[in-house]
Amino acid sequence: MLRSTTWRQRQALLAYALLLPGIAYFALYFFYPIVIEFWASLFRGQPLIGNAQFAGFANYTTALSDAMVQRSFLITLVYAVGTTALTLAVGLGLASVLSGPVRANTAVRAVIFFPYIISFVIVALMWKSLLDPYTGILNSALVALGLPTQNWLGTPSTALWTMILISVWKDVGYAMLIYIAAIQGIPAQLYEAASIDGAKPHQMFLRITLPLLAPTTLFLAVISMISQLQEIAAPYLLTGGGPANATRLFSMHVFETAFERLDIGYASALSFMMFIVILIVTFIQFKVLNREVVY
Amino acid sequence: MANLAERKGPVTSVVVYAVLAAAVLLAVFPFVYMISLSLQSDADIYSGIPIVIPETLQFSNYVDIWQRAPFARFILNSFIIAGGITALHLIFDPLIGYVFAKMNFPGKGVMFAGLLSTLMIPFFIRMIPLYILTAQMGMLNTYQGLIMPFAMSAYGIFLMRQFILPIPNDLIDAARIDGANDLIIYWRIVLPQIKPALATLALLTFVFQFNEFLWPLIVVSTTEMRPITTGLTLFNQEFFTQWNLTATGGVILFVPSFLLFLVTQRYFIRSVMMSGMK
Repeated sequence: MLRSTTWRQRQALLAYALLLPGIAYFALYFFYPIVIEFWASLFRGQPLIGNAQFAGFANYTTALSDAMVQRSFLITLVYAVGTTALTLAVGLGLASVLSGPVRANTAVRAVIFFPYIISFVIVALMWKSLLDPYTGILNSALVALGLPTQNWLGTPSTALWTMILISVWKDVGYAMLIYIAAIQGIPAQLYEAASIDGAKPHQMFLRITLPLLAPTTLFLAVISMISQLQEIAAPYLLTGGGPANATRLFSMHVFETAFERLDIGYASALSFMMFIVILIVTFIQFKVLNREVVY
Repeated sequence: MANLAERKGPVTSVVVYAVLAAAVLLAVFPFVYMISLSLQSDADIYSGIPIVIPETLQFSNYVDIWQRAPFARFILNSFIIAGGITALHLIFDPLIGYVFAKMNFPGKGVMFAGLLSTLMIPFFIRMIPLYILTAQMGMLNTYQGLIMPFAMSAYGIFLMRQFILPIPNDLIDAARIDGANDLIIYWRIVLPQIKPALATLALLTFVFQFNEFLWPLIVVSTTEMRPITTGLTLFNQEFFTQWNLTATGGVILFVPSFLLFLVTQRYFIRSVMMSGMK
């Protein structure tokens, strides 16, 4: 027999040899960083690369009562939940239209998807020029219509939602594509059977399409929440965190604490706390949405 | 299939097409406006009236911009970084994917679970320790330092494994009986069969790495090491603040992604739809 013990041992050895670079890489670039981060979070200053004083868990207790941290955490939650909910809702709406025999639907899909693959640098540049309070086209259009203008990204009450809408604009094409793929995977017989039973279109959507899309919704909600909870490019490029810190997302606050104020220890503690929040959010989403998957 | 357009009353159809037209316009207009801005003169910009179609097209913006900042260097850096990362993914992701798909060894399940668990560690969490690590290895402000944190991904390995799994085991066993070892099988049998998957991996990796903004912002400290993403931000802040020239830079940054997407569009969209499904 070919499958002798020695042959198995040789295959195992070869497998370990082939995996070795991968194991080393993921250990060094994924697992070790978490250890370093936790270690660094116990210091003030620049642990491991500069001057630092051991502080125990002081960074964590300070963070919990730090008003700026609390505020930016809340802003981040609004941003992540708002962006995710809107992206999924609009994506699903577009998908339910575009999964059918609409004229030129592949071209339309491509056009709506395209913003997803461009750099946020371009996204920010385009929308800042469109929304410029003096020369922007949106305000000029509002003037022409006799409506009041607004400094959209420069006013505390509108800046966060403007940023959310810009993020939705960029991400919605991805949600749309994934939903189209999922809708096309739903067996046509289900709809035929339902229509024989006299189901109305909106009933079919609510009773068949939506429940069967629950795993897709879970997938999209989890990846969107994980990526929005750590968004830096949007506030950094659109608003710089302003006006009056209204768009200072948590990750941007951590970024500035670490790399501009050079308080790497404190920033590590904040970052580690966010890691735990992301794990909890992911866990809850699985629990909540998994219950709906079983119907 | 049940969807809105199929159940077409004339009213539904009109609504559907109106919504789609609005969506397309909203998706396209920012790009059109950016291209328009990039062709406007300073006078157009300072007139205070937004212009969509400039009277005279100021192509000289595209000449000026190269003299204002080392733009060619930024583009070269972007290609070196995104190209280097893509090459590493093409070397390691399918190989490791093959090991998990077709080889048997003790500890396989645990190792695969460990690999997938790295998907739960977002980049933002690794940002500070990776900076420390990169500094300790003396790689700040180098290409290696820019490339290494993205050299492999559990996602890419998982994707390759999914494409390798359906290759019949009989085919691989037959080769083993003929005395081929797994490296030869991988090279001669598996790789040729997953060429489309490799193209998917390369395309997605390159396009997203070309856009990477945060990591270069952290590790790059000199102008000539910047990729085009952070180079353009620098532009906006230090070299000029006029919308026309900034938009010109934006168009140049946007062209590679756009051309790549235009050529591979159908294929690209299918890849995303496939890779997003679990």
